[in-house]
Amino acid sequence: MGFLDSTSSLAPPSVLPDISPSRGEIAPSSLLSPINNVAWEEPAAKLPISPLEGEMSGRTEGGAVECRHLPLALLLTVVSLASPTPAFAHASDRGHVLLLPTGYYLVGGAFAVAVSFLVLALLPADSLDRFWRRRLPLFALGDAAHATISLISFAGFAILITAGFFGSRDPLSNPLPLVIWTLLWAGVTLLQGVFGDFWLWLNPWYGAWRLASRLFGTGDDGAWRLPGWVGCWPAVILFFAFAWFELIDPAPDDPARLAWAAGLYWLFSFLAMLAFGYRGWSRSGEFLTVFFSMVARFAVVERNQDGRLALCWPGAKLLAAEPLPASGIAFLLLALSSVSFDGLSKTFFWLGLFGINPLEFPGRTALIGSGTFGLVLTFVLLAAVFLLAVWLGQRLAGSDHTLAQAAGVLVWSIVPIALAYHVAHYLTALLVDGQYALAALSDPFAMGWNLFGTADMQIEAGIVAGADSAWWLWNIQASAIILGHVLAVLVAHGFAWRLHPQPSRAALSQFPLTLLMIAYTVFGLWLLATPTTG
Amino acid sequence: MADKNGFFDLSKTALTRRTALKGLAAGAGLGLAPGFVRYSQAQSSAPIKIGFQSHRTGIGAAYGRWYEKTTAAAVKAINAAGGINGRQVEVIIEDDGTDPGRGAEVVGKFATQHKTDIVFGTLFSHVVIGSAPAAGENKMPYFVVSEGHHVASTKLNRYVFQPGITDVKSQIQSMAPWIAANAGKKVTQIFPDFAFGYDHRDYLPPALKAQGGEVIAQIAIPPTESSFTKYFPQIPAETEVIYHVMVGPAVLTFVKELGEFYGSNRPQLFGFIDSLEATDINSPGLEFLDGSHFWEGSPRYAQADDSEAQKAYRTAVGIDDNGAAVGDPKDVSTAAHMFGCWETLYVVKKAMEDAGYKGPEDRAKLVEATEALTAFAEGPEHPQGPKTFNGKIHQCFGIQNISKVEGGKLKVVHKTKIEDGLYEAKGDYTTQAL
Repeated sequence: MGFLDSTSSLAPPSVLPDISPSRGEIAPSSLLSPINNVAWEEPAAKLPISPLEGEMSGRTEGGAVECRHLPLALLLTVVSLASPTPAFAHASDRGHVLLLPTGYYLVGGAFAVAVSFLVLALLPADSLDRFWRRRLPLFALGDAAHATISLISFAGFAILITAGFFGSRDPLSNPLPLVIWTLLWAGVTLLQGVFGDFWLWLNPWYGAWRLASRLFGTGDDGAWRLPGWVGCWPAVILFFAFAWFELIDPAPDDPARLAWAAGLYWLFSFLAMLAFGYRGWSRSGEFLTVFFSMVARFAVVERNQDGRLALCWPGAKLLAAEPLPASGIAFLLLALSSVSFDGLSKTFFWLGLFGINPLEFPGRTALIGSGTFGLVLTFVLLAAVFLLAVWLGQRLAGSDHTLAQAAGVLVWSIVPIALAYHVAHYLTALLVDGQYALAALSDPFAMGWNLFGTADMQIEAGIVAGADSAWWLWNIQASAIILGHVLAVLVAHGFAWRLHPQPSRAALSQFPLTLLMIAYTVFGLWLLATPTTG
Repeated sequence: MADKNGFFDLSKTALTRRTALKGLAAGAGLGLAPGFVRYSQAQSSAPIKIGFQSHRTGIGAAYGRWYEKTTAAAVKAINAAGGINGRQVEVIIEDDGTDPGRGAEVVGKFATQHKTDIVFGTLFSHVVIGSAPAAGENKMPYFVVSEGHHVASTKLNRYVFQPGITDVKSQIQSMAPWIAANAGKKVTQIFPDFAFGYDHRDYLPPALKAQGGEVIAQIAIPPTESSFTKYFPQIPAETEVIYHVMVGPAVLTFVKELGEFYGSNRPQLFGFIDSLEATDINSPGLEFLDGSHFWEGSPRYAQADDSEAQKAYRTAVGIDDNGAAVGDPKDVSTAAHMFGCWETLYVVKKAMEDAGYKGPEDRAKLVEATEALTAFAEGPEHPQGPKTFNGKIHQCFGIQNISKVEGGKLKVVHKTKIEDGLYEAKGDYTTQAL
């Protein structure tokens, strides 16, 4: 059992992207397909991250390490994080959680993250690097069905939009809000984070774009090219709009309202893809693709440019990621801050700041102003604290790298935290609304159909109710939060070695960021433990 | 379909929950949807359309889910028995997000987009108050199941009715005789410091005084409080009864800390089940409630002397003997309140039949026919018990239950009389123009 170090074995040459100062450009990254790669084109992306190319432990040049057996425990752990089971509990049943000794978890979580930092600081650099580069080759997966699957997905999307306009008005009977908010936003994110880039196939644009671009002869790259400075700022703006709609708008679950929003967004993105090319817009403007591809970097499945799949450790692909430009940094921080604000906005603490009685919650209509303010504030605060931590770290290490260079690399450590928040935040919605979704899909237009035999299934809301469920849910959520931050420390540590090959400097540079991770662990656990509405 | 005892036997009908609740899709799609061609015939065969203003999301969602189940069961039963005036009933659910602003929008949508015959089913008081003006402006009969005193206060408008559940003022008043006679005459109230608590703060003292009792202390707890030990020393030593109506996530903490404060030597405890609606009474932290008493609108647990109507109602809605969903024992219902949806729909049925209601043009007639109602007899249509109805203030008055926590269940030990909860009505909606 275990991994075999075999740099000289049958392992195929690594295609993992890296930064090669001598080439001065960024190689395509290795998400499930090269089509989806986000090759950042802002000037900031051209960074000499590795001061000495020769010290880069061979990642670029065939450094993938094969292993023949993946420990079952890892698989089970990862799968269990994503699989709804009746053991999970009820987040809104906060009363039971208030009776749990959550204070110990806060202290324990902070301690665990701190200890991980110390342990990592003592480990030899290359041991960790070797460990993370291990791969278990699987099989090849071609791109042949890509357009077909995307077209099927598009057809499904079109049916859902139609259902949004003409189906039931009940957001728990109409499949559109259930699919968009529960299956897609909550569910696919988790699947992406665990298994890799499904979205590449599932996204409803690629097939339609390919047909249309052939038909109109617009070509793969579209008629126009976005200037490099644009980066993924359009995606940042669109993600903010999406988060605002989800968290602040009075009725994001209203089927017709959502049908308008989702339908127009599809059309807008489709036209942008025709104009700027599918790849161009997918990496600059289509925020779901940008988000999902970032999240998929954490997954345990890797696909190289030849289409071969391999298993890797969670987060291992992150270490091979190219540095993000300012817009990419903003995007990742916004992804985390928006989920954080969703939790924060429901706490008695936050509502108390605005003089709102949480027991007589006035509804979303009354909170548009404070909610918008909070969404922006959370992002600004997180960005400020993150950049401060990176800057301090570089100062402590006496680094020559600019803040943009270091932040562009270290920001990837946010991905496991964002995923952990996602797990903790959406688990109960997945468990209960996921059932509603299954039922609704059987009768999308409220015509009395029973397409999949699930239309009349009993919705078991009890799986998340009661003290036992609350205990399980709390422990799952707390574990996810703590594990996410420990992995974030690990990822940041891996990057620190690349920025600072000298061990003492690498450790020193991570100190402020580790303090931030500890603080965010406590914050995340507190969000789950403190009194909230609903 | 009624069986030989006159009760609904739903197993013999082919109607499903979905045909009752989901059958009617968005108005915009009706012309296109093949399933609705049949309704393009004479109006007499078209369904009665009920707009269900539902707390599907937001803080009322746990209640909303059970209100939906109860509504679905009632509509299924009504349709199985031939519908209303020979027409089937269909329900259009619009989610109000438990949001007063959204609630008003939803009432507008029902009036102008869906063109429903009535709007029904709202629970949370602030949504009722926020939506009532829209109902008045659209001349849309608005049947709420809220238990708030706002309808009976006659401060809303002529189109708002609460015929299926007794208002909180009456509920509180009707508790006083039993408390004074059985629990104790010196009462300390602990309540959350906002409108919900103020109803209890304001209505109990005069009612208790009339029974020879006295409220000797009133302790208002800030709504954001999550630890309560510091308030307990304010409870006077001579207190015989602690009357508590805490709500929110900290209720379990409140009970636990109260137990730690008193130990085994405690005053009598009396509460409203609103504190623990949809929460298992056997949850950790609630042990201290053993032997205490609660108001219940309709009993959560099946009782030995349940009427046939009550049994049929529980079966139709799908709750087991513990008041949880059949097949999902951890999903505890909102039994104390949700019966109001069932009963309200039967009041609507009766009023529409009395008015010879044909369509939206008869809404004024429906208002007048509802105002003309005076009493509802206990039975399949009113399984919670008999009620009187005051057409001037649009409010019904029924019996209330006082239940004791005993062996991990709530056992009804007293049923109030309707008269216990009657008060002098102020105002008269019937003088307002239609």
